[in-house]
Amino acid sequence: MLAFMIRRLGLAVLVALTVSILAFLLLHLSGDPAVALAGEGARQADIDMIRKAYGLDRPIVVQYADWLWNILNGHFGTSVYFKTDAGPLIFSKLQTTLVLGLAALGVALLISIPLGVLAALYKGSLADRLCLAVAVLGQALPNFFFALLLIMLFSITWRVLPVSGSGTWQHFVMPAIALGYYVAPAFMRLIRAGMIEVLGADYIRTARAKGLPAGKVIFKHALRNAIVPVVALAAVQLGYLLGGSVVIETIFALDGLGYLAYQSITFKDYPVMQLIVLLLSVLYVLLTLAADVANAWLDPRIRVS
Amino acid sequence: MAAPIPPVLAEAPARLTWQRLRHNKALLAGGAILLLIILVALLAPWLSPHDPYFQDLTHRTAPPVWYDKGTWLHPLGTDQLGRDYMSRLFYGARISLLIGASVALISGLIGTALGMAAGYFGGRIDMVVSFLVTTRLSMPVILVALATVAIVGGSLWVVIMVLGLLKWDRFAVVMRSATQQVRSLEYVSAAQAAGASTWRIVRSEVLPNVVPHLIVIATLEAASAILLEAALSFLGLGVQPPLPSWGLMISEAKAYMFFSFWLIAIPGSALALLIFAINLAGDGLHQWLTPEDKA
Amino acid sequence: MAERRVSFVAPLSFRFSAAALLMAGAALSAQPAWAGKQDDTLRMAYDQAPESVDPYFNNVRIGVIIAANVWDTLLYRDPLTNEYKGQLAKSWKQVDDKTLEFELRQGVKFHNGEEFDADSVVYTLNFVADPKNKATTQQNVRWIDKVEKLGKYKVRLTTKEPFPAAKEYLSTTVAIHPAKYYAKVGPQGMNAKPVGTGPYKVTEYVPGKSITLEANKDYFKDSPKSQPKIGKVVIRFIPDRQTQMAEVISGGEDFIMHVPKDQAEQLKTLPQLQVKSGNTMRIVFMQMNILDNTPAPQLKDERVRKAILHAIDREAIIKNIVGEGAEVLNTICTPSQVGCTDEGAPVYKYDPALSKKLLAEAGYPNGFDIDIVAYRERNQTEALINYLQAVGIRAKLNFLQYAAMRDMIRAGKASLTHQTWGSNLVNDVSASTPVYFAFGNDDITRDPKVRDLLDKGDHTIDSAARNAAYKQALTMIAEHAYAAPLWSLPVYYVANKDVNFKPYPDELVRFWEMSWK
Repeated sequence: MLAFMIRRLGLAVLVALTVSILAFLLLHLSGDPAVALAGEGARQADIDMIRKAYGLDRPIVVQYADWLWNILNGHFGTSVYFKTDAGPLIFSKLQTTLVLGLAALGVALLISIPLGVLAALYKGSLADRLCLAVAVLGQALPNFFFALLLIMLFSITWRVLPVSGSGTWQHFVMPAIALGYYVAPAFMRLIRAGMIEVLGADYIRTARAKGLPAGKVIFKHALRNAIVPVVALAAVQLGYLLGGSVVIETIFALDGLGYLAYQSITFKDYPVMQLIVLLLSVLYVLLTLAADVANAWLDPRIRVS
Repeated sequence: MAAPIPPVLAEAPARLTWQRLRHNKALLAGGAILLLIILVALLAPWLSPHDPYFQDLTHRTAPPVWYDKGTWLHPLGTDQLGRDYMSRLFYGARISLLIGASVALISGLIGTALGMAAGYFGGRIDMVVSFLVTTRLSMPVILVALATVAIVGGSLWVVIMVLGLLKWDRFAVVMRSATQQVRSLEYVSAAQAAGASTWRIVRSEVLPNVVPHLIVIATLEAASAILLEAALSFLGLGVQPPLPSWGLMISEAKAYMFFSFWLIAIPGSALALLIFAINLAGDGLHQWLTPEDKA
Repeated sequence: MAERRVSFVAPLSFRFSAAALLMAGAALSAQPAWAGKQDDTLRMAYDQAPESVDPYFNNVRIGVIIAANVWDTLLYRDPLTNEYKGQLAKSWKQVDDKTLEFELRQGVKFHNGEEFDADSVVYTLNFVADPKNKATTQQNVRWIDKVEKLGKYKVRLTTKEPFPAAKEYLSTTVAIHPAKYYAKVGPQGMNAKPVGTGPYKVTEYVPGKSITLEANKDYFKDSPKSQPKIGKVVIRFIPDRQTQMAEVISGGEDFIMHVPKDQAEQLKTLPQLQVKSGNTMRIVFMQMNILDNTPAPQLKDERVRKAILHAIDREAIIKNIVGEGAEVLNTICTPSQVGCTDEGAPVYKYDPALSKKLLAEAGYPNGFDIDIVAYRERNQTEALINYLQAVGIRAKLNFLQYAAMRDMIRAGKASLTHQTWGSNLVNDVSASTPVYFAFGNDDITRDPKVRDLLDKGDHTIDSAARNAAYKQALTMIAEHAYAAPLWSLPVYYVANKDVNFKPYPDELVRFWEMSWK
């Protein structure tokens, strides 16, 4: 087990390094940061001056090495665009995205657990199909369309929720629904499959034969066992939710990490973008590590390979 | 690395009978809708009342025929540049289907090759594939899309290439697990002991058993790719106008959502129907290709 | 087969649309509770948050708007008469071609109590003009050589070269910071807690989310800007336009701008909202790459370029797509700018038959393929493409982000561009035409005669001589059809009915002039 984890951590470092180099290259190739920084009204001389002032005229290898050296020394850099320290900047946006991610995960589970259980219990029937249909609904519409529909319904027609912003918990309800509904089907299928497997097991049939009430059987035994792989999936999906929420954050003006990433890419803000990519890759590796540990505990065959 | 794979049959998958297919409502329904959409896409030039690119600036955002101001000249109305919406809808089916199929194919090839190699050989190859998968998952999709568009310009093929090169991870993960399970089965070890070459074993023993999973993932990824095209269009990184892709139509119609809802509802419903059909067919396929009590 | 299709798709969307329409209809006409007037707070939404509130370190329109409300400048240009008035300066004198002297106003205080005097001007301008301080609005300060203190309320400003547009910059974008505070906290500190002399002061700022302005009760009475009437202004940053619309419909916001024409006209139908539009300084034109290594050598032939100009029906596009307040342009400059004129310039009327004839003469009877690159107002580009297609020029769209498009142009890879330019509020031709025709990296024409004329205009103080030089250059550009002047862009503002406001061509939202009805 220890060797497994050490190998994984080594992988984490390698991945983080590779991703940061790739991201740096791609950003460099996607446009001149001096132009982006100088803004639309800038003249040639202005762009040149800015390029020089911000060290953007140095060879790209030098710029990358400089950044890496600073990171290793704990200096997370200064945002070229916002002109504040990159670390605290990212940290302040991270909070919003974290709340959004967890809330979305909550919504996903709220939708998928009942649907998955129902589908498993009435396996093969119309109810089973219907549960799947409802779960998949959140993935049938583009997320920005779905988000705006929610706004039309809850903010304009019924006026029960604020349209945008992040001040109160009410501001997170629609974003959480929009984001969470999107990842719900994967959970639902997992729970359904897990429940079916467990419900068919001998000891469950014994329990039912003995006369234990159905509800108790379902929730105490079956669900508890079916949940384990869901936890693993949740860990992985959290990674996606944290990194992939740009559209939702844009629509609901949530100013989180996703939107910051989008801004830093648009304005070629190397320090911020590099730091975000680094953070997300480390986070992702840790989350998949956690998921793998959970799975390995379940299925020894994977551990051995 | 998370979805559990139901163990495959110990026998060759000859149990796939037509009877089971006939009773598989999901596959039949999903397949029928898909077929319909494919037919529309193929017959678009004959079904469309107008040229989908022709602009009529004096008749912009005309409503569909069931509204007061609608006419049969444009049964589904016109868009913000006066182009016939029905024609754009029919031609758009081609684009969405093309994107779904191409992305599934490209990412499927890449992911399956990597996943099977990792699952069959294990060891260092497995580690390398793990590394590739994790790297891919840690790369922000938008950055890749933005960089590609900036360098090469946006187009349908750029969208397909970007999505195809980014969506192979689920294939790799699932194929890896499936291959691992198959590899541990008796008849595979028997074939190895008998001295059969790796390629032969892979082709005749492993591949047929993992194909069911492959197909299911392919349908899910196709649906996801079609949806992602809309998100890319929203960010300005999708196909270039005036191509009538449903994703682009939806993202352009977003601006008219509050007052001309049909502009987004029509392609939105079409897209939802397509995705629904793909999911339905995918689940039906899953049911059909795996033993009963595990479905 | 056809009937099956319609009946399949139609009922689904019919039910969808009918329901939505009922929903929307019911909701949109309901009267919301307008908090704005009741709590004397104007709520404005804007899409892009400034990267810094310090006027010298951001390049977004909202940054310029905040700057005009929170800070003052030495001079002030009256938006209606275009004459210069003193603001922080009482009077000024052009000593020679490169020197200006100012008598400063006494008794003005910054929001933090610090006194305004010559030190404020000297420190601020010398700081931002120094390239090592990395101001990102270089075009606003690059021309300044140095500023010297001549007395407690007297300064002398020297420019690097004769710079006739100096007063223009000094009356719009060159804000004055408090010397002691700025020296102590620098741009980072100024961004965290902004301090100026203006009619509004910043009381709360959450970067990326919102900024709150409150009326400055002690604003100096002699300022050409009037005393503020609205007590509080809260600007929130909402990136998505539809979300902004939803906010203004449901009463969450009182004021939004840059609303696309179609949406603005739709919002006009709601009783609780008012919609105003106005012309702006932003001009739209198509560049044509005639450099030696151009990817489209056809453009080197003047007949081809003229064919392109004749192919576009500008009036139709303006009427149907661009919006109210837009004007047809015939030269590449903003009509209100000093030095801008279209007198004597040829006008290229819409004439597709003539286009085809010119193309045939130039050797392209069947037209040709070409790329066109754009970064905003995509439906206008599509309309342009449509007109070009009609004469045989098969234009293919490449829609990019601004920086990517600019890179492409500067690398010489663009053929046709759908370009816009706002001149950053500066009402002088030196801020527009030379960018594209004076051999800078954005110039894909490079006619040395035009460049020389523009240079002359940029560096001559005598206005008659300036105007003559600019007129010659602009006419030459039009005669050779080096670029296709299209139209000026209007801006639509949507506000709740209770707000009194007036749109100006410089797109500056003057909170100090606004009031409740």
